[in-house]
Amino acid sequence: MDYGYVNARVRGMHSVLLDKKSYDTLLIRQDLPSVLSELENTPYKREIEEASVIHTGIAAVDFALRKNLIRTYQNISDLVRGTRAEGYIRIFLSRWDVQNIKTILRGKNIHASHDEIFECLVPAGVLDDATLTELLKQPDVRSIIDLMATWNIPYAIPLTESVDEWAESRELVTLEYALDLFHYQNALAAVQGRGSENRIIRHLIRAEIDTMNIKNVLRIIRDNLETEPAMSLFLEGGGHIDREKFIAMASMRSPEEAVSVLDGTPYYFLQGLPPVAYSPGTISIIEKELDLYLMRKGMRLFRGDPLDIGVVIGYLWAKYGEVINLRIIARCKYAGVSDEDLERELFHV
Amino acid sequence: MADAATATEIVMAGWEKPIGAAIAFAAGAIGTAWAQNRIGAAGAGTIAEKPETAGSIIVLEAIPETLVILGFVVASMIIIML
Repeated sequence: MDYGYVNARVRGMHSVLLDKKSYDTLLIRQDLPSVLSELENTPYKREIEEASVIHTGIAAVDFALRKNLIRTYQNISDLVRGTRAEGYIRIFLSRWDVQNIKTILRGKNIHASHDEIFECLVPAGVLDDATLTELLKQPDVRSIIDLMATWNIPYAIPLTESVDEWAESRELVTLEYALDLFHYQNALAAVQGRGSENRIIRHLIRAEIDTMNIKNVLRIIRDNLETEPAMSLFLEGGGHIDREKFIAMASMRSPEEAVSVLDGTPYYFLQGLPPVAYSPGTISIIEKELDLYLMRKGMRLFRGDPLDIGVVIGYLWAKYGEVINLRIIARCKYAGVSDEDLERELFHV
Repeated sequence: MADAATATEIVMAGWEKPIGAAIAFAAGAIGTAWAQNRIGAAGAGTIAEKPETAGSIIVLEAIPETLVILGFVVASMIIIML
């Protein structure tokens, strides 16, 4: 495939991502309305204007950022349609499908309202707005799974297999684990070839599985779960965290001890985190560092071979990072968080 | 014997020159086409996202033309000077 055209367009899109100066301009704004008006001077203008008609305040920012992210992802999907790259982009975007299904299941499980759940969805994957809306209309978790099976949505397979187990335990983690396992195994199976592009994507998926496994272990430790049932949360296919390492980490008593098992892996950097990251009952700082690691890894691909899929994948990660940062800025301004705390919260990639 | 050798030289000189000129010109043209193909694709993508770069892209697209001009000059020299 000739990546010349696609990558040139993606590089053009990358060049209009917000730079440090734009972030600084947003950061010095005093409140949310001024952040909103500042965003109108950025490529988010169109979405901010659309959002301002329907929503106000933080809801408008959320709506605009979500819309912009979806529009960007759809643009990229359209660019690569019918090419070999489409498969790779589909793998990247399918993580949003998984995320959306999880959000709907979680929402239905706690009886959240239709609107509340809908606001958290990002229909950037194969499941579009209409499909997700129909799933949302279902009264409970089982009906959602049944509807997905009726529509032959592939994610219905793992969910249908685990729904009885869920019905007994009522632990949503059963369904979420089945979904993750299915997603990652499918993604890895799609990039089994020997080409450099397959290798790039495979490497990224393996890193993502690793970070998921580390996060799962840390949650297990935080929630004082038994090691035996915790083992059922292990995701196969990671690059550096195998079953033995997972068991070794899960048998530790604190996140700090668990992280010490990561010696010799690329995740050893977690050992250098400040003590506050290991405060009892909280693992959010470690989780953020893992997300940052993954994001940096993805974004680095943009600087690789100018004529392969890495440029597109790097851009998709960069865009995702930008939207996350803008959400953080908007929420912190809305909540009146201090500049120092806001600066700390941002994803510096 | 000497007459036969002279005759062979005359025959070779007859087809060598146009073939040589054709190779010189064709190689330049193929090189130009390949380069313009790649630059054109990337250039079209760039202009789609940033229309203000159109001037630079047209210049970049024209640069490989020098290859085919060089091929033409070499082909002409082969025909005229040899």
